[in-house]
Amino acid sequence: MTCEEFERVLPELGSGSSIEQEAHLRLCPACSELVADLNAIAQQARYLKASEEPSPWVWNSIEIALRQEGLIRQETKPSRVPVPLLGWKLRWLVPLAAAFLIAFGVLMFQRGTGQPRLAEQPTPAGGVVTAGLQPMASDDQQLLNTVAARMPSMRAAYEANLRSVNAYIRDAEESAHSDPNDEVAQQYLRNAYEQKAMVYEMAMDRSLP
Amino acid sequence: MYRKQKSATLAVVMVFLVAALATGETTRTEMHFKVGHRASISIVNAYGPISVKPGPGKRVMVTAILYSSKVEIDQNKRRNRVTVFSHLLDGADEESGRVDYEVQVPADASVTLHSTTGPLHVEKIHGDVILEGSTAAVDVRDVSNGHVHIKTLNGAVTLTNVSDGHVEITSVSGDVALNGVNGSLVHVNSSSGKIHYDGDFGDAGDYSLTSHTGDIEAIAPAYASIEVVARSVQGQVENDFRLQPEHTSFVARAGSAFAGTMGEAASSVKLLSFSGKIHLKKR
Repeated sequence: MTCEEFERVLPELGSGSSIEQEAHLRLCPACSELVADLNAIAQQARYLKASEEPSPWVWNSIEIALRQEGLIRQETKPSRVPVPLLGWKLRWLVPLAAAFLIAFGVLMFQRGTGQPRLAEQPTPAGGVVTAGLQPMASDDQQLLNTVAARMPSMRAAYEANLRSVNAYIRDAEESAHSDPNDEVAQQYLRNAYEQKAMVYEMAMDRSLP
Repeated sequence: MYRKQKSATLAVVMVFLVAALATGETTRTEMHFKVGHRASISIVNAYGPISVKPGPGKRVMVTAILYSSKVEIDQNKRRNRVTVFSHLLDGADEESGRVDYEVQVPADASVTLHSTTGPLHVEKIHGDVILEGSTAAVDVRDVSNGHVHIKTLNGAVTLTNVSDGHVEITSVSGDVALNGVNGSLVHVNSSSGKIHYDGDFGDAGDYSLTSHTGDIEAIAPAYASIEVVARSVQGQVENDFRLQPEHTSFVARAGSAFAGTMGEAASSVKLLSFSGKIHLKKR
């Protein structure tokens, strides 16, 4: 099994690993370090659950989505107090997802193996001017579909902002690659990933009904 | 004569009808909560403005104007924490789901506001201020001794007279204007929005204004005491001050970067843009 193959199955590793994957982990220090880092992030992120309470908007959004899907019915007399549809035990998943997005992006970049899909496309000089020409990554597309389903008027704004952030990430990555010791380039990269995490967090969490 | 009378009557009826349509569907609700010292107030509003000002005593007064029956207000008070939430019902959209909030809080309260469309306005309080909105314009003024954290997608952010707290602003494409803002930490992270700072950079602060393509303009008085680093990878940098040269971790190329100190260099200032123009101006 190669590192590339291993990274492809990495998201499913939580539900158990095969003999082949375990053998690769034993032999490959880079992949085993990556898994150790991700486990450490997941452990740390759990401590956020007490301090990062998602807003009631989350529960309202889920409720509306479930109602639209026909999975739950409209209450005859709506409750005056929003009742979370997920138990409190699962609330920590929202900040965890945001933290994981940032950490995973930075980790993958630092390893230099898992470039975001957009970076694989030919990068023209001056990301700003040509940012609108870049096709969206599938995750971004999925996010936009979710936004469009919940609030069609916001889709265009989210798309424009995602393109802007993706261009930022591309330029920051190029800059950091060209001089890995440049602290400012690392700062650009952190800021760019922070912005992307914010866009995802806003779309999935609070800013849409 | 009869026709004129009829036209006039019709006009009057139309005026009343339009007025009734304009005002008839709004409902005004008032909520009052007793709170203690340093209460925490959270307002979550899908569509519409939220304005927060200090009020008398240890009371929170929330006035909400609802634009249809497709939205209702949920409220909750637990100990010293008040949550008010616009609950959208089936079929609610930007117009019918709109709620306008005017809120009075004790001056020492901490405030958390969320609105997709905004605008969001907070003034004259001393607690923490956390504001988030996608397209919401954000205006914060005369806030001190509290942290100010703001997140927007393309909503413009304006801070005026904000002091003695941490200021952290992340906006993808909204312009950010800081007037008279200082504190131990002032960080602005923007992608394509412009960043404008007009102030003296305070004392012992850490200022970082970073953008991808947006221009950065910082205006400071001649007496400002700063250690400044400015760099744009693809854009131009300009500096009106005479700085004492300083060692940097990068090569300070003329026209694209500069670094140095002024006065006792009490505060650290980083002005970083990828392709935007940076200008450190003398007031």
